Amino acid sequence: MSVPSEHLLVLAAILFGIGVAGFFLRRNVIIVLMCIELMLNAANLSFLAASRMHTLANGGQPDTQGPIFAIFIIVVAAIEAAVGLALVIALYRNKQTVSLDEVADLKN
Amino acid sequence: MQSPQGDYGWLWWIPALPLLGSAVCALLHFLTLRSRGVFAPKAGGHGHGGHGGHDHGHGKHGHDDHAHDDHAHDDHEHSVPAGIGALAHPIAALAMLGAFILSILAVKDLAAGGEQLTSIESSVWHWIDTGAFNIDISIVIDRLSAVMVLVVTGVGFLIHVYAGGYMKGDAGFAKFFCYLNLFVFSMLMLILSSSLLGLFVGWEGVGLCSYLLIGFWYEKGWPAEAGQKAFVMNRIGDASFLIGSFLLVHLFGTLDLSDIAAAVQGKLGEDGVSFQLLLAGLLLFGGACGKSAQLPLFTWLPDAMAGPTPVSALIHAATMVTAGIYLVVRLNPVFAASPELMLVIGIVGVLTAFVAGSTALVQRDIKKVLAYSTVSQLGYMFLALGSGAFASAIFHLATHAFFKALLFLGAGSVIHGMHHEQDMHRMGNLRKYMPQTFLTFLVGSAALSGLPLLSGFFSKDEILAHTFANGGVYYVLWGIGLLTAMMTAFYTWRMVALTFFGPERFDTKKFQPHESPAVMTIPLIILAVLSVIGGALSFPPVFPAIFHPEFLHHWLHPVLQPGEELIAARGAHALSHTTEWALLGLGSVVALALAHAGFRKHMAGIAADEATAARSPVRTAFLSMAWGLDAAYQKLIVGPVRLVALMISAVIDGTFIDGFVNGAGEVALSFGSRMRAMTSGNIAAYGLWMGAITALIALIFVWQR
Amino acid sequence: MAGLAVAAALCVVLARNPIASILALLASFFALATIYLLAGFQMLAAAQILVYAGAIMVLFLFVIMLLNLADEKPMARVDTAMFLRRNAVTGMLVAGALVGIGAFAALQASGALPAIDPNAKLPEGGIDSIQNLGEAMFSRWLLPFEVISVLLLATAVAVVVLAKRNRGPQAGGGKGS
Repeated sequence: MSVPSEHLLVLAAILFGIGVAGFFLRRNVIIVLMCIELMLNAANLSFLAASRMHTLANGGQPDTQGPIFAIFIIVVAAIEAAVGLALVIALYRNKQTVSLDEVADLKN
Repeated sequence: MQSPQGDYGWLWWIPALPLLGSAVCALLHFLTLRSRGVFAPKAGGHGHGGHGGHDHGHGKHGHDDHAHDDHAHDDHEHSVPAGIGALAHPIAALAMLGAFILSILAVKDLAAGGEQLTSIESSVWHWIDTGAFNIDISIVIDRLSAVMVLVVTGVGFLIHVYAGGYMKGDAGFAKFFCYLNLFVFSMLMLILSSSLLGLFVGWEGVGLCSYLLIGFWYEKGWPAEAGQKAFVMNRIGDASFLIGSFLLVHLFGTLDLSDIAAAVQGKLGEDGVSFQLLLAGLLLFGGACGKSAQLPLFTWLPDAMAGPTPVSALIHAATMVTAGIYLVVRLNPVFAASPELMLVIGIVGVLTAFVAGSTALVQRDIKKVLAYSTVSQLGYMFLALGSGAFASAIFHLATHAFFKALLFLGAGSVIHGMHHEQDMHRMGNLRKYMPQTFLTFLVGSAALSGLPLLSGFFSKDEILAHTFANGGVYYVLWGIGLLTAMMTAFYTWRMVALTFFGPERFDTKKFQPHESPAVMTIPLIILAVLSVIGGALSFPPVFPAIFHPEFLHHWLHPVLQPGEELIAARGAHALSHTTEWALLGLGSVVALALAHAGFRKHMAGIAADEATAARSPVRTAFLSMAWGLDAAYQKLIVGPVRLVALMISAVIDGTFIDGFVNGAGEVALSFGSRMRAMTSGNIAAYGLWMGAITALIALIFVWQR
Repeated sequence: MAGLAVAAALCVVLARNPIASILALLASFFALATIYLLAGFQMLAAAQILVYAGAIMVLFLFVIMLLNLADEKPMARVDTAMFLRRNAVTGMLVAGALVGIGAFAALQASGALPAIDPNAKLPEGGIDSIQNLGEAMFSRWLLPFEVISVLLLATAVAVVVLAKRNRGPQAGGGKGS
């Protein structure tokens, strides 16, 4: 293919950065979780890009580590999303809010 | 130095006995304190050990300004029973007696050895052993230290006996004897050491004990200041001493006293050595000035009268103040090598004698008269040293120990009997009440003033004769010396007249003066006898041979030989017999005349003193303050030094050091409070921190490639 | 595609309405899937859509609907308020730093990796053909595979427990994944 793998990596970096920004900036817990997903996706992308680079460098020999690991990451992301959301529900029940600003229980 | 024949290992018992005595007395003191309940825990109590807590609350008098305050009230606790502490007296006195007996035995052995045996020694301890520089601590009895040790232990023993009576009832009875014995130990170390370093150890030790003993009644306030003054002035001298000894090490590579003395002659030929010797001698002499209270470092001695009278007798008449003389005689070749240095020593000595003598003329406190007299007589000893008459200096040292100790103890007896009155203007006619004290005091005064045939006469005359013999500028020194002798006779008999004769200037209804107990008067009698016969140590050479004239000189010859050879090389001076007799006669006449004058003028009472004061108040004030030297020191030295110290403590200590330390605390505190703000519970903030650190790690990671 | 992915991501972050965020996320998933495909990862592209877009997004939507977080009133498209929060600037700086470092590293990496054979072509069926993946998964990566399945089981249990109410039942039981 014609798209150079480095560009994929840069794209992954950008997406990751956006996810991080959102993680810091948003108040809403659920949005924050979504940003986490975004970051995971970016990581996925970078893995695949690297795998592609290796494949091309090895003269077509497929490097399966990338995709395998990407699959694992997807699974883990799903798990984490599920658990996170369950926590959000529990949080909402106790505090009636999903705003991070008001959930400063760890204060001091 | 000849090697000793026989085993003299027991020599070190001489200083060890007083040391042991001191330790035992310390223990007794501790026990006494315990029996008084000082160490018992009590609510709200001082828990402060010491003199039974009898605080007079005199407070700070601002004594720096008047060194000559009439501290006429030698107040101290009288009535405290000593309990087990009373044992301290016999123990301390016995230690002294033991040391004295051992000294006699040692000297006997030395004397039996004849001309060949110059010393017996016993090595105690190898202190420093570096191959190139070795210091051995050993006890040496040679001819010079024989004389010194007999004087120190003998007179010391008598004073110890006396002190048992004088200090009776004092709350710190055992402590006193502890200090006294410690002092004697240090003094013995000083005299008996083979090495300059051991001497210095003793030197410092006596300084310390002097401080402790002067300030013995520190609750009164001013004795503590006096002790401090003595110590600091001594210290200045000590610094000079140290630098001088460094120079000696540099020159000779050793601190062994006899080695140095032997090596001086040989070294003199070399380049620059004579100047270095001059410098070393000058510095050592500076140390001697501090210890022996010469100009300019003498103002501590009158203040030292704040201590108990036995202390004044022992330390400031007979022993510590003679350490400087001993030093010079011991290292006589170092000093004799430079005639300029000898002249300086002579000048300093005679000037000190003059200034102190003139001050004694107008003192009212009986102890102060004696104090200035001591300074004056020490000046005579230095005059002797400066004239090359080393043996005469030692002779005068010994006789002075006898009669000055006698006078001090006698004064103590007077004070004791007068219930601690020290001002002569409030005494009078005491011969009626204290006959034994009176008679012995009379003998002592006669000796001091140089009345013929007593010990003081011979020693003083010998000094003046040697000074005269040197000729040239020494004639001037002789003249001043003669003047001082006149003053000595005058003030001595003024003292006698005011104290023991004339109308009674105290209220007989309030109290009756009483004679002192036997434990105090017997030492007086013994010392009186010594003061009379002490002259036999060194009759003038013009006396017939059966009197063994100049016995002391012959005895000390082996020690003095190097120095005397150096002096003789510059030209010998000898007096014709006629001149000698003339000087002897002059001395007698002068002493008798002035003694008579002084006595007559004052035997009627204090009218003469008051008249003098009225006629020339300025001169009286000037003299009574030791020519204003003390005040000068206050203004020029003590004041600025205190100011600098204050500045340093305020600025450097306050700003920098405190600032630094407090600042460290402040930093920790502020840092902590800022850290606390971080635990905000704000999750996003936590996340932010995590992200930031991750970025940092990533950065480092990338940077590594 | 890349641009679409970035745009979508930005929307996720910037949108005020959570529903909008979710939809944006969905869009970005689709974009990414396409990118995967174009890069030669067919299986993964499919997995991405199936799992991410299909299950996870649905999950998010369910939760938001359940908690009734969508606001009724009309509001601005972009959540500007968020930029005024404390540490906003710092956060963006950090994010930017990460981006920068990542990009920098990426561009450097091209020199570090073995040279790409210009004649090389991607294998038939893509790098992650089912056959390749299966071979790898069940040989070398067998253990992680098993562990992940256990983990999934555990998650299922955990979610049920976490979301369970202490008091009486209400809407919202467990969540299947």
